[in-house]
Amino acid sequence: MMMKTLGKLAFLSVTVAFVAGAGLADSTLEQFDKIKGRSYHASFYDGESCDVCHETNRATSLPADDACQSCHDLDDLVEATARPAGEEGQNPHDNLHYGRDVPCMECHGEHQTRQHMCADCHSFEYPNFKP
Amino acid sequence: MKNDGLHRKDRRAFLVGMGATGVSAAFAGPVLAASGNEPAIKWDREHEIVIIGSGFAGLAAAIQAKKLGANDVVIYEKMPVLGGNSAINGGLFAAPGTPLQKKEGVTDSADIMAADQMKAGRGVADGPLLKHIASRANEALQLTIDAGAEYFPYLQQLGGHSVPRTYQTTVTSGGGITQPLIKECRRLGVKIVNRAKFERFIVDEKGAVVGAVINEGFYFGRGRKGKPVNVRSQRGVLIAAGGFASNVGLRSAQDPTLTAEVPSTNMPGATGEALLEMFKVGAVPVHMAFIQTGPWASPDEGGFGYVSNYSIFNFPHSISVDVQTGRRFMDEIADRKTRADAQLARRDDEGNPLPPVTITSYEHAKAHPSVKKVLEYGVGWKFDTLEALAEYHGIPFEELKKQVDEYNRYVEKGVDEQFGKPMEKAKGKYIEAPFVTVRNWPKVHYCHGGAQIDVQARVLDSYNWKPIPGLFAAGEVSGGTHGQSRLGSCSIPDCMVMGMTAAETMMSA
Repeated sequence: MMMKTLGKLAFLSVTVAFVAGAGLADSTLEQFDKIKGRSYHASFYDGESCDVCHETNRATSLPADDACQSCHDLDDLVEATARPAGEEGQNPHDNLHYGRDVPCMECHGEHQTRQHMCADCHSFEYPNFKP
Repeated sequence: MKNDGLHRKDRRAFLVGMGATGVSAAFAGPVLAASGNEPAIKWDREHEIVIIGSGFAGLAAAIQAKKLGANDVVIYEKMPVLGGNSAINGGLFAAPGTPLQKKEGVTDSADIMAADQMKAGRGVADGPLLKHIASRANEALQLTIDAGAEYFPYLQQLGGHSVPRTYQTTVTSGGGITQPLIKECRRLGVKIVNRAKFERFIVDEKGAVVGAVINEGFYFGRGRKGKPVNVRSQRGVLIAAGGFASNVGLRSAQDPTLTAEVPSTNMPGATGEALLEMFKVGAVPVHMAFIQTGPWASPDEGGFGYVSNYSIFNFPHSISVDVQTGRRFMDEIADRKTRADAQLARRDDEGNPLPPVTITSYEHAKAHPSVKKVLEYGVGWKFDTLEALAEYHGIPFEELKKQVDEYNRYVEKGVDEQFGKPMEKAKGKYIEAPFVTVRNWPKVHYCHGGAQIDVQARVLDSYNWKPIPGLFAAGEVSGGTHGQSRLGSCSIPDCMVMGMTAAETMMSA
């Protein structure tokens, strides 16, 4: 019985975090011909450009961990998401647990919403995160 | 993160019979015509030392092996990120005879530390292993400092320790150790491959472990198993894959109270498959049912969160009270099992949990950065008066006031007449306004059980009680070291020292 209540507590906090995030979500995820994708990547969805991220246009494999970095510069990202003094370790692109090594797709979804990894244990918010 | 060969389009076919393609170009050593569990092996990779898991134990082993002259060390990590559970632990490192103990005038020794651990382990811990680890803990600590780890300039006294002997990283997380160690591994030329899951051992006809099947391109939680490659190890395979606190089936098979409804501090990959594979090749299962829950965790956040480190730092000069009675119910720095058992007994008449409230003077809490986090992220609360505190948490005020006054007399006397709590670290630290509170409830934290090892980190064979050739284990995946209750801050020295030891054993063979 106690386990149930505790489970509910944990579930509740996760749900709250998720809903809070979801409020910001929908704006950039839109339906293209066959698949959902990000509005700012609209030019990839002409049916022939899957290999911008995937190995081939058939997109049967997941992108390499550093695929996003062919366009997005990690140093710039680290700078853009710097956290205030005393919270430097919360920078998602250079954080105290994993440094700069977290593969992009562990937090970001191109074709679906995703919850960032920090939310597994922490309740801090990244206002500009696009779930 | 570099993929070190993952996603290669030219990946060779695997498990091709020897006669068909002969020896691969990368293969340097003599060929095994046949092996114990394989008709014939085509080796896809070969390394001097193969390490499974990139937490403290695996990283320490890789660094030590390199220092001892190893040319070719590889670490396989099944998760997308490196560091395993070590990267999200509390960064607390116990060691006797350290520079900080000298500075603070603390008398300590490996014998005293091992005795504290044996007591908490309820007498069934492994004395020789504890002694071995304690005697080299300071050396391991220095290895992390040499690699760039930074620690607070003061010691903490954690529950069950007879003296202050615990260092903590300035980032209050094991990430403050794994990050520098990973950097050091890369500097030394250790190959680290993420998304690479250990599948099983490859054993020769004499029962020696000669390699492992690794699934490269394994995507945890996404239904991508990856492609198996046969990896030959020249000196051995070290299993440093951590515990199984996140494997609900396995943990509840050992302890039926630890169902899916009990949260855990562990990362989702702490599932223990490598441990089960060790049992398959004959390793001795030890203490599998001794699974520790952490008494400093909070029901108000996920995982280890912020409250865990906050509580660990503050318990020595705080009181935990039952919300129904306003009374203390435990020695706040007893060993983990004692405290977790006491907390789990706080329930309403219907058996629902009533997480106890831990009360600290803000004046003392603010000495550690965690107080800022717990207040900022709404998992701790600050009150100017005891009345406000009592009202917020629904604690009977008169009883609570009586308890606080009573405890403050123990602080004055230096003797806790209620629960016999060691009061050295509470000296002069009265419970006074303004107050900070958090709620505590145990979470599954650490698996004491695992495969039995000796003091050379060799995995023993349950059929003949001799070491299984080529197989080594270190860290949480090994079993029996800590008995029934591991003391806080004793896992990092265990992982580090036994990782170093495993490397030394492999390099001396």
